Amino acid sequence: MIIPVRCFTCGKVLGSLFEEYKKRVYIEGENPKKVLDDLKIRRYCCRRTIISHPVFVKGKEVKEPIDEAAQYE
Amino acid sequence: MKITFLELEDNYAKVLFENTTPYFVNAIRRTLISDVPKLAIENVTIYDNTSALFDEIIAHRLGMIPLPTHLDLLVFREECSCNGKGCPNCTVHYTLSKEGSCTVYSGDLRPEDAMWAVKDKNIPIVKLLKDQRLILEAEAQLGTGKQHAKWQAVCGIGYKYYPVIEIDSEKCNLCNECVEICPRKVLEIKKKKLDVKNVEECILCKSCEEVCKRDAIKVKGDENRIIMQYETDGSLSAKEVLMEALKILHKKYDELEKKL
Repeated sequence: MIIPVRCFTCGKVLGSLFEEYKKRVYIEGENPKKVLDDLKIRRYCCRRTIISHPVFVKGKEVKEPIDEAAQYE
Repeated sequence: MKITFLELEDNYAKVLFENTTPYFVNAIRRTLISDVPKLAIENVTIYDNTSALFDEIIAHRLGMIPLPTHLDLLVFREECSCNGKGCPNCTVHYTLSKEGSCTVYSGDLRPEDAMWAVKDKNIPIVKLLKDQRLILEAEAQLGTGKQHAKWQAVCGIGYKYYPVIEIDSEKCNLCNECVEICPRKVLEIKKKKLDVKNVEECILCKSCEEVCKRDAIKVKGDENRIIMQYETDGSLSAKEVLMEALKILHKKYDELEKKL
């Protein structure tokens, strides 16, 4: 699956933000809340679109951020 | 009417309207959503697509990419002197050609002139595996939010009355309950007195009013002062988009006046 270009609800462009989110949360292990705030994703519609997007690292689905992602990287 | 920008970023604005009415601010909101024109990809000719996504999905994703819009250089295709055939006055052309393995980004769209280059270059469009190809041509034209959401320049737009918080310090016993319940942390106790820290953050939820047993706090909204917040998708800046909306609204009122 590929990240939607825009938030389904409000239309904010999210496609370009997801790669940074994925890198910082799933690989570097930062707190998702902090990353979302840094990226200025303010509304909860946009936040759920980013948070609930399935993430694959090296072809394997990662359900829990941080520790699990690290073993595939 | 007085307009002040409380916060202004490239793609985000918080605006204070003074001496106004909710009806007028709502008219501005609706103009911003449905009448401000912007550029978006409308026609896509696909020459080769061996990627995992269907042509339609790729065209749909391309349509939603925000393109830089110079409103003084473009006219609507229906109003153009070319009679809707498409000419440099009403159409912008983009080409894209990529071969895997790679990810195709919005920045790979090559415009005919550098000033139309996509600003947000990191939107993934499709992932290509080895030997998969994507070659296409796209035509962008002006449109409004009324026609399709991809032509909507603003998102997440809303407004609220300016919050007015009245504290009766004689009745207040500094129990701290209102400070704790406030979801926006608007209140604070300073020097043994209940005080308002940042009024503009208040969302008029009235939780503090409900929790206060002594009726010491009253929250009201001032109808004549309104705070509006909005974001743009990046095709126009937050300031440009408001100026454009006011221009359009002005033109509409003029038309109405003439016809009466």
